[in-house]
Amino acid sequence: MWKEVRAREEGALPPNSFASRIRSRRTSSLELSQRKEIVSPHHGAVNSLQVDLIEGRYLLSGASDASAAAFDVQHATDREGNGLIAKHKSLFVVDKQLEFGHKYAISSVLWYPVDTGLFVTGSLDHHVKVWDTNSVQVVMDFKMPGKVYGMAMSAIATTHMLIAAGSEDVQVRLCDIASGAFTHTLSGHRDGVMSLEWSASSEWILMTGGCDGAIRFWDIRRAGCFLVLDQSRSQLGRRPPLSTNTVKKGLTSRMASSGQYSAKGLVSQRKSSLGNTMKQLPSLRKGNFLSKGSTVQRLHPGMTSGQNRATAHYGAVTGLKATGDGMYLISSGSDSRLRLWDIESGCNTLVNFEAMRLQTSKGMKLAVNDDSSLVFTPCMATVKAYDVWTGTVKKTFHGHYESVNCCHFSSLDQELYTGSNDRQILVWSTPPAAFEEQDGEKVCSTDQDNWSD
Amino acid sequence: MESEERMSQEREIEAVGVVARLIEMATDSTDQEVDPRLLKAIKSAVRSSDDEVRDAVRALMNQMKKPHSQVRYLTVLIIDELFMRSKLFRTLLVVNFDQFLSLSIGFRRNLPLPPPSTIASTLRSKSIELLEKWNTSFGIHYRQLRLGFDYLKNTLKFHFPNRLENAARLQQERREREIRSKQILLEKFQNFKECYSLIKDKIQSTIDEIGECIEILHAKGDDEFVSYIASDDDELEESRPLALQQIRLDALKEGQKVYESSENMAIFDVLRELLRLLISKHLPLVQKWMSVLVRVDVTDKFRDTALKEFIDLRNHILSAKEKCAELGCVFVDGPVQNDDEKDLWEDGKIEIDAPGESSGPNSEAKDSVNTVTANNDKAPALHVTKSSDTRFLNLPPEKRKLLSIAPVVEWGPFLDNWGLNRDAPANQRGLELESHWGRVDSDAVIPAEKIAELSVHRTVYKEQPVEIQPCNAPLKKGGLCQRRDLKACPFHGLIVPRDAEGNPIEQIPSSVESINEPSASGVIDTEQDLDLDKLTVDRLFKQAVKNVRESDRDMKKTSKRAKLARVREHNEAVLRDAAIASTSYSQAFGEHEEAVEDNKMGRKTKKPTLNSMLRKKITAKDRISKRLLSARATDASIHQLMQGADLKYREAFPNQW
Repeated sequence: MWKEVRAREEGALPPNSFASRIRSRRTSSLELSQRKEIVSPHHGAVNSLQVDLIEGRYLLSGASDASAAAFDVQHATDREGNGLIAKHKSLFVVDKQLEFGHKYAISSVLWYPVDTGLFVTGSLDHHVKVWDTNSVQVVMDFKMPGKVYGMAMSAIATTHMLIAAGSEDVQVRLCDIASGAFTHTLSGHRDGVMSLEWSASSEWILMTGGCDGAIRFWDIRRAGCFLVLDQSRSQLGRRPPLSTNTVKKGLTSRMASSGQYSAKGLVSQRKSSLGNTMKQLPSLRKGNFLSKGSTVQRLHPGMTSGQNRATAHYGAVTGLKATGDGMYLISSGSDSRLRLWDIESGCNTLVNFEAMRLQTSKGMKLAVNDDSSLVFTPCMATVKAYDVWTGTVKKTFHGHYESVNCCHFSSLDQELYTGSNDRQILVWSTPPAAFEEQDGEKVCSTDQDNWSD
Repeated sequence: MESEERMSQEREIEAVGVVARLIEMATDSTDQEVDPRLLKAIKSAVRSSDDEVRDAVRALMNQMKKPHSQVRYLTVLIIDELFMRSKLFRTLLVVNFDQFLSLSIGFRRNLPLPPPSTIASTLRSKSIELLEKWNTSFGIHYRQLRLGFDYLKNTLKFHFPNRLENAARLQQERREREIRSKQILLEKFQNFKECYSLIKDKIQSTIDEIGECIEILHAKGDDEFVSYIASDDDELEESRPLALQQIRLDALKEGQKVYESSENMAIFDVLRELLRLLISKHLPLVQKWMSVLVRVDVTDKFRDTALKEFIDLRNHILSAKEKCAELGCVFVDGPVQNDDEKDLWEDGKIEIDAPGESSGPNSEAKDSVNTVTANNDKAPALHVTKSSDTRFLNLPPEKRKLLSIAPVVEWGPFLDNWGLNRDAPANQRGLELESHWGRVDSDAVIPAEKIAELSVHRTVYKEQPVEIQPCNAPLKKGGLCQRRDLKACPFHGLIVPRDAEGNPIEQIPSSVESINEPSASGVIDTEQDLDLDKLTVDRLFKQAVKNVRESDRDMKKTSKRAKLARVREHNEAVLRDAAIASTSYSQAFGEHEEAVEDNKMGRKTKKPTLNSMLRKKITAKDRISKRLLSARATDASIHQLMQGADLKYREAFPNQW
């Protein structure tokens, strides 16, 4: 460590790599934090966790007892045991007692990505509610057609503020905070939608994973979905070899350009790309050959993919997470599998993630670290950190006593937060270095070897 | 030094795997405790290096995974020993703490604790207790401990013994009580500070008054006394013998005292009044305040001075009391003292306790005692129980002696004229009954004999309570049999005197000795010896008879057994033959029996092992169910039933196959 600091001083080490080295070292040494403790006010399973994106300071949690709470993870509210244990108590709790609170379990919580003045909760009582953080009041209420399983807001959106909400209904709805109405109803899934994720590279691309096992990509400026991920379409390694498949090439070029769409060139580009997909996509599946002649003519061009029954997982897709650079998508399914998808090509990269057992009944929240080398996956009562590119288990976190529902990685502190059915929110952090331990030496005197014989 | 180092190195090399082996050895036992020697060896081995600790953790977790609660229980005990000692051990164990808890407490429904179930429950309770202990002592340093404890306690609602909290609560309560009492004391002290001078003045004035009274009395007495001495002092002194002189001196001294008389009665009254006030009111008051002053926790000058003054005051009071006592003015505590008549009727046990008091008026009580003691020889037929002597300690010796032999008689109306030998008036009601029912003879008397006849005392005979000795035979589960039977305990036979352990004490040990060495006792040819001889002969005779009978019985038994065995053999042979000839069911019958027998034999010879703990005890029910539910038996019965159905079918439709 000191050597690196020295190298940084001398200018031998660029600041970026210095920072990333330290970060990755801290990430690799994560373990259950002995000093930091979040006092969970929840009486039910913790279903969702998120740290706000602006300050990285406020942790929001939603639980099965219809309560949501916020914590300050930087400053402890309480100290215990001679200041050894920092306790973080909730700053506020919203629950059933509140007049406009949720009636049933909260399945997901979100911070408004622009500032911490608003947060959004989605619940099994069919409602998505937008709250004012400061007054802890509901400012907006969206009635959904069914139980809300998951929600997502785009962190990079500048032109819209849409909440994508997946429910037990087959349609994904986009709720507009500005107008208080649904702007879109995206239909294509054949079953409820458990997980949603906005693309990290384009503010208009939404990815949804449904209980029918399909992962669909939507461009919200157009009707219908433009891509359905198929587990049988695969590529080895990170990039597809360019020469092998012209279909993939076409897709790749389209996807690559989609990030830089401009309003003017939109129409022409869309037409060309639509034609491309229309021609290519049905050919991907044998089953569609028969119906091709009759249906393609009548349907709106964008809706043809609705016929595509490709699946990404056997069973439901329970979790989605895009890597930080927006190039890859990690999905988990009730078939106890993690899959890594290349977003650009829409191919399964065939990374073999080591054996695991995932919760099948609930949606879960995966987390990736800041350079997207590790994915934290809740595996029943443990959390496993998989290497994204090789699929090997780097670390297993034991600490919860019942199934873990969600992880959130805070890249600012390199801390991992996990919420579980045992009502606890655990903090996993880098253990304090040896020299920091020295200060606490006198306090620690009780924790020493004590050999009487 | 060098050799020592080398030795330790060698030991380390040797100890690779030693810990694991030791742990395996220690957990392979059926005891409730880990063998202390092995435990010590494990501890010293683990202590030697960090690698050993890692080894130990691995080995212990392996043992924990064994599907046997006894192994797990012993492992948990070892883990506790190491956990309380080694930091490294703690950090290593805590990493997989949920697994450890699920193996030791079995809180997961899909991973219950393995058999045997009795030990599984002790394992669970012990683990819970240990978890609590660890949490209180190390929880602050290990989040996992806290989490596990919290989960079991708050989510699964396990019941923890909560030892520490209970102790803390008790201490807290005690502290609060102390604080409260201190506060009360302090308040009292403040009160006292305010009224201190008032009290002191009051008491002082009372004492002063008493002093004055005494002075007055003495002044009067002195006058008389002086004149008396002057009259007959000098001339007679030499002529009298010494003894007489002594008596006279005593008398003189006696005369020096002031007695109550009609002249100084008023003064005495005042004195008595004052004394009463002083003793019944002021003395307790002073003592109370003194105790307050002593106990109160104030370092105050006032307190010291007050305490000193109060001690003085108390001494004054006591001295005043003494002076009064000299004057014959005694104040005895208790409200009973004032009304003597009541006293007599109030305590029903007049015959014993009244004479304790020296003051005059209860002479009646004394009389009654006397009558009882005097008459005790007249009533020999009465049921007598000795009363304890302690009550008579303050009586004169002769009376005590009499009382100790006196019978205790239950109270009854006959006591009214106990020992009175006089006629009683027949009509003493005092009512004028003249000419109502004819003539009334007011002088009629009932003769004494008649009275005696009427008041003959009868009591119901009560059996003397006899203490029945407990059987005292040693019980299997420890302790002695507490059944009380007159002659024979239904479980342990005849009741014989036994020692503290419950072993029967040989009734006539000396006689046994005398059997062995008759020559030793032969020298003393006394009646006693003869007696002994007779006894021993008797015993010998009995023994012989017993022996013969026993051998007889044994013979019978063995012959019976042999016969039975022969019969059984025969039966089995027949059965086997039949089985070969007929169905499979009966063959299985024989086999089963053999198997069961084998099982029995095996169990008898084996020492208790871990496996034997797992094996269920085979009860009659099991045996029956085994036979009834065995596949062959069920098959056979099904076959039979089918056959029955088939038969019926054929009967119903004789023309079909």
